[in-house]
Amino acid sequence: MNEPARQTVGMTGKPFSVLLSFLNGAGSVLIFALVVLINLDIVARFVFNAPIGGVTELVELSIVAIVFLQIADAIRAGRLTRSDGLYSRLCIRHPRLGHGVGAVFDIAGAMFFVTIVIGGIPRLVDAWQRGYFSGITGVFVVPVWPVRLVVVIGALSAVVVFLLLAFRNLKGVLGKQP
Amino acid sequence: MSGIDIGLVSVLAIVVLIYAGLYVPIALGLVSFVAVWFLRGSTDAPVYLVTLAASNSLEDYVFGVIPLFVLMGLLVSHSDMGRDIYQVANQLLNRVRGGLGVATVAANAAFAAITGVSIASASVFARIAVPEMMKFGYRPRFAVGVVAGSSVLGMLIPPSVILIVYAIITEQSVAALFKAGIVPGVILSLAYIAAIVAMAYLAPGYVGAGRAIVDQGDSPSHLPAGEIVAKTAPLVTLVLLVLGGIYGGVFTPTEAGAVGALGALIIAAAKRKLDRSALWAVLVETGHIVASILMLIVAATMYSRMLGISGLPNELGEWIGRSDIGLYGVLAIYVALLIALGTLVDTTSIILIMVPLFLPIVTPYEIDLVWFGIITVVGAEIGLLTPPLGISCYVIKSTLTDERVSLKDIFAGAFPFAVIMLFVLILLIAFPKLSVGL
Repeated sequence: MNEPARQTVGMTGKPFSVLLSFLNGAGSVLIFALVVLINLDIVARFVFNAPIGGVTELVELSIVAIVFLQIADAIRAGRLTRSDGLYSRLCIRHPRLGHGVGAVFDIAGAMFFVTIVIGGIPRLVDAWQRGYFSGITGVFVVPVWPVRLVVVIGALSAVVVFLLLAFRNLKGVLGKQP
Repeated sequence: MSGIDIGLVSVLAIVVLIYAGLYVPIALGLVSFVAVWFLRGSTDAPVYLVTLAASNSLEDYVFGVIPLFVLMGLLVSHSDMGRDIYQVANQLLNRVRGGLGVATVAANAAFAAITGVSIASASVFARIAVPEMMKFGYRPRFAVGVVAGSSVLGMLIPPSVILIVYAIITEQSVAALFKAGIVPGVILSLAYIAAIVAMAYLAPGYVGAGRAIVDQGDSPSHLPAGEIVAKTAPLVTLVLLVLGGIYGGVFTPTEAGAVGALGALIIAAAKRKLDRSALWAVLVETGHIVASILMLIVAATMYSRMLGISGLPNELGEWIGRSDIGLYGVLAIYVALLIALGTLVDTTSIILIMVPLFLPIVTPYEIDLVWFGIITVVGAEIGLLTPPLGISCYVIKSTLTDERVSLKDIFAGAFPFAVIMLFVLILLIAFPKLSVGL
């Protein structure tokens, strides 16, 4: 999962880094909340014979939220899966070329998340305007738009992280120490 | 270009880009995007594909299982349970030749039953078992080889995140795959143990310390019976709760993950190994791992839809059917490709690239897809131990502070264990009952 060599960006103190920490923190809290929620459901089912309604729907929506809350910070921390055996050798032997290739990779990453943003916005608008919900009416209902908002915000943050990484690599191409 | 040409070029482009170092999900996602654009002639289809993969395909209850088991694995690694199991295994096995090596395998197998991440096993046992073996005169190369080799047990013995990923993309039951991993995991452990004992007798120079530790009059640990119970009780409890809960039909795998995570949290807190800041660090780490695994699954969903649209897997299947190489011929090619990819790419990525391509090819042979999953995982895991980028070996290198052990030593030491894995894999292919007979 995690590769040996890691590429990280230090962005402490800037507003964007505060946003990343906030998203990442919310994702971590959500993971913990899942543990608590599912355990409560089990206790309610076995001890009181009364399962909590809507746990399945909440778990389903939480997974999407967790991924998009954490993805930008995971990219920043160099945790997005890659095979850098050849690439790290290139970076040692030809640092400038390495930075150039790295910049191209980062821009590719930004493009991928741009496609998620482009596709995600209409789905967010739809969910908001038409009031989509998940669950069964009368039993348990949860609106879908917050999760779709998280998808858009998370993907947008990922685009920004990739652009920052690309910018740093481009500075490396010009021979300046980032 | 026909659809099949586009599919073929895309697969090659993905492999080349991943080897060059592009992020795996980006390579899978962007190439699939461009390929579907070419296949459909408009950008609407690929944009729809991306958004569907990014949110809809993740909205499934079964995905909840991944963060829960990752969290449980990380909590268990934090709780010093690895050290406890290792001490107990040493105590029980110190009369055997090569006993510390055997104990490492046994402890790893037990540890694997409560954690689903190989990397966790590799780093925990590199810290615990390697210094212990070297203290008692084992050669460094042998010591790191044993740790690297036995770290792959973590992904085969349930619970296992890799088995969950396979279950999700092939729509098999997680519980069935967990069940199928047990016997192959035990066989692999026993094969390792037999090999270690044989090496201790036949090649004592390679092992270093051939004799049993008791003969040297300096046993590493003298645990009273009460302490042995105290050290094994948390492990046994977690195994009973999680695996017992799944097999007994009491919990869904997702629920078992939540129960296990809570159990590991309580154990770690009771052993005073976890304060608030450590718990927060574990949660953040869990988030990073989960985001990277699920992003891979998002991208792999796009890739497998793209393959379906291109018609490549069906064409390959027909072509292989005509060439009459039979199921074993197909599996031989498949395993060779898994191992080749495994030298540079991590196991999850390999599975996500290869399985959608080969699933339509093996389907006509009416094989059990659970069995196919075990073959896939073992085949892909062999690559964890082989250069140039056996990830387990890199993790061990980065965990060890001992400068005497080079990366070359780790790969050389792991090599015999990679060979044993290949033999066990052939055994599993020859006798499907070993995986799905329970």
